[in-house]
Amino acid sequence: MDAVQISHVTRTFGEVTAVDDLSLTVPEGSIYGFIGPNGSGKTTTMRMIVNIFYPDSGEIRLFGDGRPENSSDLIGYLPEERGLYQKMTVQALLEFYGELRSGRSVKTEVAAWLQRLDLSARAADKLETLSKGMSQKVQFIATVIPEPKLLVLDEPFSGLDPVSAEAIRAAILELRRRGVTVILSTHDMSLAETMCDYIFMIFRGKKVLDGTLESIQERYGDDTIRVTAPGGIGNIEHLPGVEQVRDLGQVHELRLARGVDPQDVLRALLAQARVTSFSLAKPSLHDIFLRIARPAAQEVKNAAA
Amino acid sequence: MRLHKVFTIAKRDYIATVRTKAFLFGLVVAPLIFGGGSIAMSLMKTKPDVRDRHVAIVDHSGAIAEPLVAAATTKNERELYDKRTHQQIVPRYVFEVVPPVADSKEQLLALSNRVRHKELVAFLEVGKFALRPTKPSDDNGPALGVAPKTDPDTRVSYYTNASGIDEMRGWLSGPINDGVRLARLAQLGIDIRQNKELLTAAPIEGLSLLERDPKTGAVQEARKRSELEGFFVPFAVAMILAMIVMVGSAPMLQNVTQDKSQRIVETLLGSASPLELMSGKVMGSVGVSITSSFLYVAGGVLAVNTLGIAGMLPLTLIPWFYVYLLADVVMLCAFAAALGACCSTPQDAQNLAVLLLMPCMLPMFMLVNVLRQPNGLFATAMSLVPPFTPILMLLRQATTAGVPIWQPWVGLVGVSIFAFATVWGASRIFRVAILMQGKPPQLAQLVRWAW
Repeated sequence: MDAVQISHVTRTFGEVTAVDDLSLTVPEGSIYGFIGPNGSGKTTTMRMIVNIFYPDSGEIRLFGDGRPENSSDLIGYLPEERGLYQKMTVQALLEFYGELRSGRSVKTEVAAWLQRLDLSARAADKLETLSKGMSQKVQFIATVIPEPKLLVLDEPFSGLDPVSAEAIRAAILELRRRGVTVILSTHDMSLAETMCDYIFMIFRGKKVLDGTLESIQERYGDDTIRVTAPGGIGNIEHLPGVEQVRDLGQVHELRLARGVDPQDVLRALLAQARVTSFSLAKPSLHDIFLRIARPAAQEVKNAAA
Repeated sequence: MRLHKVFTIAKRDYIATVRTKAFLFGLVVAPLIFGGGSIAMSLMKTKPDVRDRHVAIVDHSGAIAEPLVAAATTKNERELYDKRTHQQIVPRYVFEVVPPVADSKEQLLALSNRVRHKELVAFLEVGKFALRPTKPSDDNGPALGVAPKTDPDTRVSYYTNASGIDEMRGWLSGPINDGVRLARLAQLGIDIRQNKELLTAAPIEGLSLLERDPKTGAVQEARKRSELEGFFVPFAVAMILAMIVMVGSAPMLQNVTQDKSQRIVETLLGSASPLELMSGKVMGSVGVSITSSFLYVAGGVLAVNTLGIAGMLPLTLIPWFYVYLLADVVMLCAFAAALGACCSTPQDAQNLAVLLLMPCMLPMFMLVNVLRQPNGLFATAMSLVPPFTPILMLLRQATTAGVPIWQPWVGLVGVSIFAFATVWGASRIFRVAILMQGKPPQLAQLVRWAW
């Protein structure tokens, strides 16, 4: 069964079309990554899934026939802009959010999650006394108590230190193992690559990518070469067949034009640099993201000029 | 609407509010205002200010000063001391007769300065023609029409920098007019000093209407009624209601704005619909209002008991008080929630606070007019305007005249419909505005959202 089924949904704000005729299916038990530049429509789509915004047209179904307005108790939602009642204690706040969603006492779950995320000692403290990382962990717990069937996380790792991020990441994966469907938005492409079963990219309100990482990369083919050259690779941007060069520090990533033979590029490289590694690769998600979004950014830049 | 969500939100908001220092401060201050005020009044009764009251009198008529001084002497002899305790209970009135001089203005200025220096509490200037109801065309000529009230020659002027309703002024009217009448009669050759009862005023006492005792069938004695009963009780009841409503609903505007600016709202909306969220917040405020009402009402009861006017409180009003309180708080809190949803910053909320207070403040400006004629057209019409009904109808019901039995019910129906419409419209505004940031919407936009 699909956890979320979005059919031809459009949502406008005044003159701006935030989401334009979007259709998307999120399989139950999967992790679905939403990517896209700021203002592209990710948050609006998420808000429609959790019934904070209503589509102007189209339809959203959850777990078969359920409409979002009837299914909010099944959803845990972590908004991008987080806020908690600072004067409440951690324990009281988590019980409040848990009871709000379930209508029952959630003391046991609260204790278990506090222990799991190493916050038991701060249960009686007011939120205003916690560090930002701790507050984010509390907010995450508030989202998953009681355990939802669908978790919608808008940039769950933003602002987190690596230790807290790892704790949240492990918790999300654990929830997925227990059958919870996870939708998360992120600007961290490597995280999306490693964590998500499916990736959906929205750009200017329209769906531009949707599928597994492999299927997406397949569409772009083996047009990427990764080169390591300790002494630098010289001026290769003007080599025939090389469309773009990205300096990643230790590695350079070259994108080839369609039909170019990588052996020709290797020969040209060897003629001007000492190459220690050379590999053919599929484009990274980051690269694909830039290929889609950068022309638009360039358009904006040109318009401003 | 899922009620458990509404109750959970209401419970949190209620607990959060009643634990604030501001609320606890209010709890202490409210009874102090009502209870402490009345206790202070009682103490003032037992410890009156008995310092001598020195008053100068410039009598251009030559007929008023003497009887006034005599009346003050008699008053001092009769009333100065408590007959049982022999303690002085009222101040002594000491009159100083000042002969008129040619430069009247300079004389009045000198006396004014003496009042300023607290040598006198006041001074009187009796006009040259104060004995005559009309002023002659000139000093020797015949009377011409009614003298204007502002004419200093025909009036008695009382100069003071004390408040306009000081005790002295109230007392002066009797002996001055007695003196005037005596002098007039004397001019006509009638000497009534041997029969002073001719000038004794007949007392008028306000009494309630008679009723038949439903148990015994006997006609009951009418109760004495005072100005307190006619003015203070209705006024106090309406004021208490207005205060509780304002105390209960005003924080809602800030609370919603705060939840919005601190990004708490979106998390809540992930678990509850806008209507559930708003209803929970309104219900929390109703709880706060009812809690504070118990204390205000208790303070009020303490005050009337201390003042010895407990019998004047019509107990049948209490159910109406709570019905109107409920309706008014729901109405204003929903309105406040909608306004709060439109604000992005606490400053925006402050600017809009005046709008929220209007339904409580406007009836306050009408109180005196309504009390003058509680069943007049103005009072009846205004008390049937739903936003004003709770305060004005309750005020009218608390007057001794009462209101026709159908009016509170019609008012209640109007208020209920209006409250429902407010909640409905507010929830629509709330739903649209709660996640909006930036410039607050225009009035036309609000109306469009509500519709």
